[in-house]
Formats: sequence, C-alpha cells, structure tokens
Amino acid sequence: MAEVSVAVKPRRAVPGRPVRGGPRATRRSRREARAAYLFLAPWFAGLLVITIGPIVASLYLSFTDYSLLEEARWVGFDNYVRMFTEDSRFLSSLKVTTVYVVVSVPLQLAFALALALVLDRGLRGLSIYRSIFYLPSLLGGSVAIAILWRKVFGADGLVNAVLSVFGIQGPGWVGDPDTALGTLILLHVWTFGAPMIIFLAGLRQIPASYYEAAAVDGAGPLRQFRSITVPLLTPIIFFNLVLELIKSFQSFTQAFIVSGGKGGPADSTLFYTLYLYLQGFKNYDMGYAAAMAWVLLLIIAGLTGVNFLASKYWVFYGDTK
Amino acid sequence: MATRSRPIPALFRPLRGGRVVRHVLLIGFGLVMLYPLLWMISSSLKPEELIFRQPGLWPGEVTLENYTEGWYALKHPFGYYLWNSAVVTGLSVVANLVACSLAAYAFARLDFPLKRLWFAIMLGTIMLPHHVTIVPQYIMFSELDLINTIWPLVMPKVLATDAFFVFLMVQFIRTLPRELDEAAEIDGAGYWRIFVRVVMPLCLPALATTAIFTFIWTWNDFLSQLLYLNNPDNFTVTVALRTFLDASSDSSWGPMFAMSIVALGPIFGFFLAGQKYLIRGVATTGLK
Amino acid sequence: MSSGKKTWSATLLATTVLVVTAACGGAGGGEGADGTVKLRFAYWGSDARQKMTEEAIKKFEAKNPGVDVEGEFSDWASYYETLSTKVAGSDAPDVISLEIRGLREYADRGTLADLAGKVDTADLDAKVLATGAIDGKQFAVPTGVNAFSLLVNPALVERSKAELPDDTQWTWDDYVELAARITSGSGGEVTGTQLSWNPAYLQIYATQKGEPFYEGNRLGLSPETVKEWWAIMQNLIRTKGAPDAAKSSEIGATSIDQSLLGTNSGAMGMWWSNQLGAAAKASGGQLDLLRMPKLSGAASGGMFLQPAMFYSASSTTGHAAEAAAFIDFMINDPEAGQIILSDRGLPASSKVLAAVRDKLPEADKKTLAFLDETKGELTDPPAAPPKGASAMEDILTRYSEEVMFGRMTPDDAAQKFITEANASIAG
Repeated sequence: MAEVSVAVKPRRAVPGRPVRGGPRATRRSRREARAAYLFLAPWFAGLLVITIGPIVASLYLSFTDYSLLEEARWVGFDNYVRMFTEDSRFLSSLKVTTVYVVVSVPLQLAFALALALVLDRGLRGLSIYRSIFYLPSLLGGSVAIAILWRKVFGADGLVNAVLSVFGIQGPGWVGDPDTALGTLILLHVWTFGAPMIIFLAGLRQIPASYYEAAAVDGAGPLRQFRSITVPLLTPIIFFNLVLELIKSFQSFTQAFIVSGGKGGPADSTLFYTLYLYLQGFKNYDMGYAAAMAWVLLLIIAGLTGVNFLASKYWVFYGDTK
Repeated sequence: MATRSRPIPALFRPLRGGRVVRHVLLIGFGLVMLYPLLWMISSSLKPEELIFRQPGLWPGEVTLENYTEGWYALKHPFGYYLWNSAVVTGLSVVANLVACSLAAYAFARLDFPLKRLWFAIMLGTIMLPHHVTIVPQYIMFSELDLINTIWPLVMPKVLATDAFFVFLMVQFIRTLPRELDEAAEIDGAGYWRIFVRVVMPLCLPALATTAIFTFIWTWNDFLSQLLYLNNPDNFTVTVALRTFLDASSDSSWGPMFAMSIVALGPIFGFFLAGQKYLIRGVATTGLK
Repeated sequence: MSSGKKTWSATLLATTVLVVTAACGGAGGGEGADGTVKLRFAYWGSDARQKMTEEAIKKFEAKNPGVDVEGEFSDWASYYETLSTKVAGSDAPDVISLEIRGLREYADRGTLADLAGKVDTADLDAKVLATGAIDGKQFAVPTGVNAFSLLVNPALVERSKAELPDDTQWTWDDYVELAARITSGSGGEVTGTQLSWNPAYLQIYATQKGEPFYEGNRLGLSPETVKEWWAIMQNLIRTKGAPDAAKSSEIGATSIDQSLLGTNSGAMGMWWSNQLGAAAKASGGQLDLLRMPKLSGAASGGMFLQPAMFYSASSTTGHAAEAAAFIDFMINDPEAGQIILSDRGLPASSKVLAAVRDKLPEADKKTLAFLDETKGELTDPPAAPPKGASAMEDILTRYSEEVMFGRMTPDDAAQKFITEANASIAG
C-alpha cells in the first residue's frame, strides 16, 4: 500500500563516497539498516508490547460472540454476515459518516490552510489571532461543547436570533434530523486549529532562501506562491488530508456529547464509531463491535492506500529530486 | 515579525493597503468563533441558578462564587487535579518528543529492509477505532498490575505508539533538503549526530507542533484517564470536571464552567509558549 | 558513530529498565501489607454524591477497622463502559452499584453474587426487594425508591390563566387540553409541557390499557397501544401544548436542569420523583408532583415504585463477607442514612427512612408525602427488565422521533419498534 509513502533514498554520487554497488556500499547499507532499527527500537518495543496484542485480540473477538461479561464464543463470520444482511442501522451509520467525512474534511482543510496563509506573517498581533483561532480546538471534547452548541444552533440559539432580525423563523437546527448532521459538520470545521497549526509549521519550514532566489530570478508573488509555497507544502497538505480522513471516519466524541450518546434525532447523527460503541458497551455485543471496527479499518486502509498512490502525482518531497 | 524579508503571497496582497480592513475582518471572525467560549466565561460568572434561566451573554449579576465553590467542591482542592494532569501530560510530552522523532528519522531518512511494510503497519495502528482495543489493553495492564498508576498512560508515549506524531515528523523531515544531511556526512558525522545536530534543529516547528498537540490531547483525554486512574486521589482534571455533572439529578453547572475555564489556562498557556517555536528553522535560512 | 553507539545502548537499556520496572511496579490489590482488606466500591454520580459517599465510607471504616473501602467513581455516561471493561479484565469491583435496566445484563451473565441471608433486608418492603431477585437469588439490594410521575410548576399554570387539575381523575385528553391552554394563556411565553420518551411513561400507559410492558423475554405491548400513546404526543405538538418535534428532540437530549420546567419556560414534565429536587433547584420555584393522567375507565393508574439504584456484590470477589457487610451498612445503618439521605432514592429501609425523615430536604419531603398519599393506588413494582433492555429507551426514542418528524407512519413505526425491541431482549 505504501508505494511512495517512504523516502526512497536518492542514490546520487556524493564526492568521496562510491556509488551503490561496490563492497563498501553493502557495508554502508548494513550499517544504515542497523542504525535504522536502533532508531526504531522504542517504536518496535511499543508495537510488540502495547499495540499488536490488542489489535490481534480485537480481530479474534470479531469472530466471536462476546458480551464482555462472559467468555467469548467462536461464531465464525456471523458478525460480518449480520452486518451486511440484517442490520439497516449499520448501513445508515456508514452513510451518515461518509457524508460527514466528504463534506467536513475538505471544508476544514481549506479553512485551515487559508487562515494559516493569512496568519503566517505580515500583520501586527498575529500570534494573538493565531491563539484566538486555536481556542475552539482547545475545548475539543469538553462536555461543555454540547451546551455551547445548543446555544448557537438550538431552537432559541444565536443563529436563530440573528435570523429573526431578518424576519426569518429558523428551525431547531440541532434537533431536526435534516440539519443535525450539518451542525456537527460545522462543529468539526470550527475546530480547525490542529490542521491550521500544522500548516503554519509547514510554512515555517520552507527555506526563505527559496523565495529570495525566486525573487532574484524575477518571479512575482503569485508565481512564488504557486511554484514554491504550494509544492513545498504538499507533504504537509498530504499529511493533513490522510490524518483528517482517518480521524473523521473515527469521529465519536462530538456526536456522542451533542446527541447525549444516542446519535439522534432519529439516527441522523449516528456516526459509525458511535454505533460501534453502542453495540459494544450498551448492547454488550463487543464481538459485533470488533467486526465493525475491522470493516472500518479496511475502508480507511483502502482510502489511505488510494491516497498514497495518488500522492505520487502531486506531493513533492525535499529529499527526492 | 514585521522585519521578515519574505514577501506576502499574492493572494493577500491586494489587502495590504487595507490593514485596518484585515484586522476588522479577523476580529469579527474571531468573535464569531469565540461566541461559545464567551458564553461559557459569562456563565461561569453568573450565580449558578441563573445560568439556564437567563441564558444571555451578559451576566446580569457577576459573582466569583462558582470559582471558589468549584475549587473546593471535590475531595481535594482543584489545584490537586491540575497537578495530577500536569504530571501525566508533562511526561507524555517529553516521551513523545523523543520517541516519535527517533522513529520518524529512521522512516524519513534511513534505508532498511521491510521499511515499507513497517511504515504501513505503523499507519495501520491508528486506523482501528480505539473502543475495541480498550478492553484488551485494559486486560493487559490489569494483568501487569498497573491500574491506578500512571504507566498505562505514559508507557505508550515512551514507546512511540502515537503513530500520528511519527507520521507528522516523517512528513516534516521529508520537506527538508537532503543536501544538509549529506554535507554533514561529508564532514564525518554519523547518523546520530546528523539526527541531533542537523535534522532536529531544523524540525523545531514540527517538534513544537508535536509538543503542543501532545500536551492538549493528553490534557483533554478522558476515557483512559478515567479507566486507569479511577481512585479519587488519582483523578485528573478531565475526570474531576465530569464529577460536576450528573445526568439524572442536579449538576453543578456553574462550578463546572468555572473549573473548565481554569483548566483551559494551562493548555492555553502551553499553546502560547509553544507557538513561539513555530518559527523558521535557523539553518534553513542560511542555505543557498 | 561510536558516541552514537553508546547513546543508543543507553537508550535501549533505559527502555528495558522502564518496561521491567513498569511490569513490577504498581500497587498490589486485595490485601494490604498490614493485613487490611481492600474493598473496591464502584458508583456513579456527581460531586455531591461523591462527597457523601466518601463520608459514609469513612464511617464504615471507623466501625470496621481492617477494611479499607476504596470508592471507584465514574460519571454516569461512562459508568457501564468502565464497569464492563473492568469485569472483562477479571478486575471487577467488589461492590457494584447498578440501576434496574442494567441489573439483568450483569446478573444473567454470572457477574453478581447471591446476597440472600448475607445482608439484612428485614426492614425493606418485600415487593421492592423482590425487584432485585432473579430466579430466587437476591443479586441486588435496592437503595431507595422512586415513582415516575408528573412534575408541575403551579405558579406558571396560574400565571397562564389555567387551572391545576384534580389529578385523581384527570384523563389524557385533559392533560393535552391543559398543556395547550397554558401555552395559549401565557401568550406562548410558557409552554405547557415537554415530551418524554421514557419507557416508564409508556409502561404506565400500557398498564392502564391492561397490557404489561414485558412478558418474559418479549414485549407485552400491542402496536395499537404504542400508536395511541404516540397520538397523545402528536396532539400535544399540534395544539402547541409542547414544542415542535425539532425543539422537543433538542430538549430531550439535555438534563433536567435545562428542561423547560427547569428553566421556567414550561409548566409540566414527566420525570422520576426523586428528580423533583433537581428540577426545583434549577427553576427556583415551587414544584409539585401530580399523578399521571389516566385513560377514562382504566382499572389502574399504572404508576409504580421502582428502586432508584441497587447495591450488588461481584461473584468473583475475594471478600464476600466484607462486601456484604458494607452493603448492609449502606442500606440499614441509620448513621449511613443520615449522611446519604435521599441521594440514592428515598431510603428503602423503613427504619432508616424513619430516622432521617425530618432531615430530608424540602423537595424530598414532598416526594415522600406524595408517595405515601398514592401508596394504595400503585401497582406492584415490576420485575427487572430482561437482558437487552438497557437499549429500550434508545429504541423507543428513535422510533418516536421518526413518528414525530413524520418520517414514518405510526403503523410502520409501531411494528418496527416492537420487532426491534423484541430482538434486543430475546436473549
């Protein structure tokens, strides 16, 4: 899957060092591999001790009937079959989540990038603005969000108060199944702070010398933006895209808090992981929840794979030429 | 900041003359963004019983009662829980900075067998919703007799299990021109020295990002802290905050809002401190 | 590289040491070094409950030297998640708080110990006590009781130029009419009532129709009953006695302090009787309890007592005797009662209730008087619902909302509700 995911070390002749192929190169690459595994030692230990066990266990559990309170009982593919043949809520949760991801991820990233560009430099007091725009993201999964969001989008909330100035009687956005998901999408966009910061950090990492050189060559600002900022930022854009996709497919907390843990009204905000959670911990069907988790893993892995394949055509790394 | 030599991207150039316009737009936008937060601050200053009865933004009556009451409402003064959170969070930040940058350097700059497979596995580890790994993980830590210690919270960070940050740093390191490493290599530097002396200083923005996010996310994390630190003496801020709420009976909304604001202080402070390091890496500017 | 190598060996060593110390560290559970027994007690609730509980625990420890009770607290939203995770990890708390919907989830799966004969239950009402027994085994002891009833703000009713009903004989039609009159009489400033999708409400209505809610592992309800019940709510929305569907579902997802009644923007609402205090505190006004309306000609009003909470002991506890002693203390000891008062429902033990009667907060005195007054009319406390019933409120809410929003016909929704509910509790 990770065809282009990892830096392929360019093999260019460096003065004083033979090109790959000679006996010294083999020794060198062995040395390099050894160093790499040492650098990765903590990560390998973590994989072995902390990560792999629970992941494999959840795969096993997905083939069982497991209530958490009793021993797991092997049932083969039952959970998977049930998911796709009998469970209409499963499909509707998948639909809700897909809409959420498709709308909110591009929106949030565009927002984050635009503000990162505005806030990169050129204005007095930028760090204050940055902090202000980041504040909503600090609230994140706070339980207060549920109340705050109703203050804005509730039947008697801020939005309707503004609308009523224009003589429009707005609906209860949070409580209406047609608009509830929309308010959650806005909630997601509202917390654009994390990708914004990552974009900012990315902008800061672009060597200023590139701009100076381009300016010397007579490139105008638009040209500089197009041929320096955007290409050099692509690894970061790519990172944000991959991670936001993964994260929003797993969105849970905000829907859980805003809907009081139910995914209502009428299942309109029943996110995939929220449904998974309800199955596992409320219906005591952890086997089914584990199966759902693995289906989601396949979906996300597929999407990420496509993402990586496509990245070949638009992501530029500073380390490959 | 005004002395930066880099030109403004053309996109925003037309606005250059209208600085005031830009400030006005940003401030207006900021206020809209902050409305919910302002409401929370105002609510924390209202007498508790009026929070939902008088839901407007301006408190008719201002009191600090919620703050004094909230601070002492639980078994320990609230500062106790702030300290608990600070310990868990501080250790996590340090651990993540070290462990994730080590792994990221290997993935970004070094060549080794099975690299792509390991990378794919690393990414794969964040694709499974955590709800299904919570139980096996709890069983594991419980077998190790580590419940009500900070190890279940800190050990994963020490061992770089947060693939998000590994991937983040990989991407950042890969934006750096490789000529820098090569120049250092010619000077006789080994991988460790290149990592410490060349790559890390250039990654300051990435390190700052990692530190900021680790701090915020660990500080705000709720479920694992509730699960692994469930003795009232070990509560962290997020767990303590939830104790103000009771779905079936009366919740202490006023103290909850007040202490939520108090709990925002450290993360906001850390953010302010951290964002200063979102500056251009020193060495990149010198590269021609 | 040589310096690098050294650094690396050091890092590796440090990692190893860390893992090893981590593996060996940690507090051992069970018995302390000095031979004291450590007893873990899981409960949910607010800061106030936490304080009371800690105080009661201290009392217990003073009376039982050698036992160290450690409260394991969680907020309600995460309670069952953390509890089931602990049980799955063979790490179940010794004493577990449960409410009636969760009781059989745990009891039927062998998680709980039989407390019969270990906890003194002589002062508990036999019928209330029986709700904690399954197949003759006393898996749980009720802490206190509750009745699902109608809460009303008389001042708001009056201000809206309406009159309080005679609740001994009012009908559902009267209820809808009153709600509509309050809304119109107040010029829309006060809404009559707010909708409730609590299964207890449907249960009361079904009892009035002579149908049980549960019949073994099936629903005893007919689709007609569910449809008629929904019709009450549709009428409320139509006559503006309750907010429209969207606002109703918005309010429905909030707690009682943000309800219409709690914010003085509504005059009525249905809750458990022990929530009167919370609602009164939120609204700042005088609230009263009323009997639920009746179907004209119904033999029974259908209201019932239900335990607010249970204490139970883990079947795997190594300290069964201490666990039973702690539960006994919390249920029967007037000293514990003096501390806990009505926090876990009006005390189930008549002896404790008599001892704390005068110390109860105003709202709870009112509740007590209401329960005394209606005692003769109440039906027997229903047995704990079958395994799978913890999802019942969610299922009912979902189909009710589909109907209120007009996205499903009542016929269709009633059928689907019964099918899905039956599947959930089938076993």
